[in-house]
Amino acid sequence: MNNLDSLPQASEKGKIKRETFIRFDILQRIEHIVMLTSFTILAVTGLPQRFPTSPLSASILRVFGGIESARQIHHISAIVLGTVSIIHVLDQMYRVSVLRIPITILPLIEDLKHLYQDILYFLGLRKHKAYYGRYNYAEKAEYLAVVWGILIMGLTGFFMWNPIATTSWLPGQFIPAAKAAHGGEAILAVLAVIVWHFYHVHLRHFNRSMFTGQITHQEMEEEHPAELAQIEIGETWHRPTGVDIQKRQRIFFPIALVLTLAAAFFLYKFVTIETTAITTVPKGETVAVFVPLTPTPRPTPSPSPTPVPKEGVLPESWKGNYEALFRNRCGGCHGITSVGGLTLATYPDALRGGDNGAAIIPGNPDASLLVQVQSVGNHPGQLTIEELNNVIEWIMAGAIEE
Amino acid sequence: MHHSRAIMRTLFGALAVLFAIWSLVVSVVSAAPFSQDVEPTQGASESAQEETPINLSIGDDTCLECHGQPGLTMELENGEVLDLFVPPQEHAGSVHGEKGYACVQCHTTVGDYPHTKFSALDQRDVTLQLNAVCQRCHPGEFELTQDSAHATAFNAGNHEAAVCSDCHTAHDVRRLTNPDTGELTPDARLWIPQTCARCHSAIYNKYLDSVHGATLIGTENTDVPTCIDCHGVHNIEDPTTAAFRLNSPQICANCHTNPEIMDKYGVSTNVLNTYVADFHGTSVVLFEPETPDAEINKPVCFDCHGVHEIAWVDDPIKGLHVRQNLLTRCQVCHPDATDNFPDAWLSHYIPSPDNNALVYYVDLFYKILIPVVIGGMAVLVSMDAGRTLLDRYRSRKVKEQVELVEDVKQPLPDQSKSGAEESEVEHE
Repeated sequence: MNNLDSLPQASEKGKIKRETFIRFDILQRIEHIVMLTSFTILAVTGLPQRFPTSPLSASILRVFGGIESARQIHHISAIVLGTVSIIHVLDQMYRVSVLRIPITILPLIEDLKHLYQDILYFLGLRKHKAYYGRYNYAEKAEYLAVVWGILIMGLTGFFMWNPIATTSWLPGQFIPAAKAAHGGEAILAVLAVIVWHFYHVHLRHFNRSMFTGQITHQEMEEEHPAELAQIEIGETWHRPTGVDIQKRQRIFFPIALVLTLAAAFFLYKFVTIETTAITTVPKGETVAVFVPLTPTPRPTPSPSPTPVPKEGVLPESWKGNYEALFRNRCGGCHGITSVGGLTLATYPDALRGGDNGAAIIPGNPDASLLVQVQSVGNHPGQLTIEELNNVIEWIMAGAIEE
Repeated sequence: MHHSRAIMRTLFGALAVLFAIWSLVVSVVSAAPFSQDVEPTQGASESAQEETPINLSIGDDTCLECHGQPGLTMELENGEVLDLFVPPQEHAGSVHGEKGYACVQCHTTVGDYPHTKFSALDQRDVTLQLNAVCQRCHPGEFELTQDSAHATAFNAGNHEAAVCSDCHTAHDVRRLTNPDTGELTPDARLWIPQTCARCHSAIYNKYLDSVHGATLIGTENTDVPTCIDCHGVHNIEDPTTAAFRLNSPQICANCHTNPEIMDKYGVSTNVLNTYVADFHGTSVVLFEPETPDAEINKPVCFDCHGVHEIAWVDDPIKGLHVRQNLLTRCQVCHPDATDNFPDAWLSHYIPSPDNNALVYYVDLFYKILIPVVIGGMAVLVSMDAGRTLLDRYRSRKVKEQVELVEDVKQPLPDQSKSGAEESEVEHE
């Protein structure tokens, strides 16, 4: 943050006057681009998950190929942002411990004073804005918001990414709480970027220095007058001697290596600590689908009612057996409707016969029309062979009525 | 001129005819309804009769003289014996009998005697042959069944798959809906599980043990779902597809978000929105519209609550209110889950100070923090913007005045040139 490295050295008693100044070095600019890219992707893939029922969410996720791939992209971006954050921390440590660049990003009481002065200026009670140093309160607030945001998002993101590992040492409620915080923080961060960041560096005045690395003299005058004054009077950072740097590097690099390995291990664990869920949910229903009730639900033939002969009635007689047999077998046609003039409803009817003659002639089955027709077979209401034999025997025996 | 008018008239005439045909087709197509609440296609029955006049002189009495007697049978090609007995009260008591439909209106080939020769391979073949007649009067329902899992199974060669008369029976076809409202009668709701049980008895037995089935069968309470409330009626969908699974929360929500039913039993109507608010539900809601066929590993209602054996939440063996039961359920998909894990799911509760307080207060924190921070930023930004614009406006005014003063001060060497400069100033 404090690369005054290539700033004009205040050689001639700070009287030097340059048109542009270097504000951010190449690493800082790369960090910013990687961060803004991953932040944007995180926001665009994350917010639809915060508002799943919004139609806009569906359209956005369609662009990313659906929720599953959007989640993968979200995870990859999170790792990118995590990596750039770790690089930033290591870089800061190098600047402070090796190059001894003063930390100017941290907020001071002075910043509250500047805010107060600016409010007076906004209200017309003061002629000009506060005289900002290298970073004004707006920039410091934003930097702190990013640090806070990444810590919260990283932690809650870990909880949600690894709920089983988390709940093995924290109460289960931390997972939905993490989800609430992750979503709330996301909304806060996106709105802050839109309201605060976009206004200050895009809308009010398009500040290119984060991309070009340079800032003009006029911009310095307007936005960082206190810093400009310091530069111009020579009160600025001087690069330590090569010997000093080498001496400090010998201590810094081993520590940095350990920290880098630790961070890499942490990131690796972040991704791989657990397999949260199986990939295929087992089938909900396990019983056989087609299990018909036994016996099969189809109708079985209904048995003919077994006639119970009355007392004093011979079983082998019209009343005892044959009235019922003829009603069941023949009654459909030769009952109420007497097809061919024949009805077998009563004993006299049966003896009388139909249009072609007597159906039953007692004692003479061969002459009985009923026997003749039935013996040919295939008559509707065909008697079985056994039934027909019984009928023949009954007629032979005189076709007794009772 | 005269010619062209005639051509126009013909064209319009043709268009009108086309439109009439089109609207007819559209009305028929759009009349193909969803599976439930199908209006019986009454009109169609009349038109069917007009097309094929039926000899109504053959009354049911004629048929019942033979077929009303037990014992009348016929042998089929495979040796099975087909019962030709129709208990007279069965048809008379059916919805068809009530309306006076005659036997021969369905059995259209037997009007003459002796009957036209009829043969069938086996009993199932008889059913399938005779079943074809239903669509004459009920084409809408028949069309719907063609999209059903039963039809799919049938077309795949499974001739046991249900056809009309398997569910409605052949002769004892009962009235199932209230003719005025078109809604199922309470009696019909009680019959439905028994109907499906004829072929799906194993599932029926599971349903019997469930909160829904036990309530329906045990207490004759028809507020609970029967088979068709989830599976539909004629176009019964294959419930094993990924699409059915993804859409299934909506089926449960049909009743479980309806306060008219739920309030009676003190059951929460927040089950859907609390599910959607959770990771599982969010995923399903986001999957469903985009990739309705996706096989996803996020659970829907029935993955936790069960399909047909849905238990009471406080059931000691299966109820999800019992902590150990919930953990067991979690472990089905999260095999490594430990004791604290089930609390990661809020059990359909909306966080409150009494319930899931941590979540409630985190939410509350951001509900306060976001407006305060963003509001503060907005105030500062708008003040800054206001003051910046005001300053710019003022400095331009001052600049213009200075320029004007300078213009006046300067001598005018060339009349025409100064005029041009003045107009430029005005333009700015």
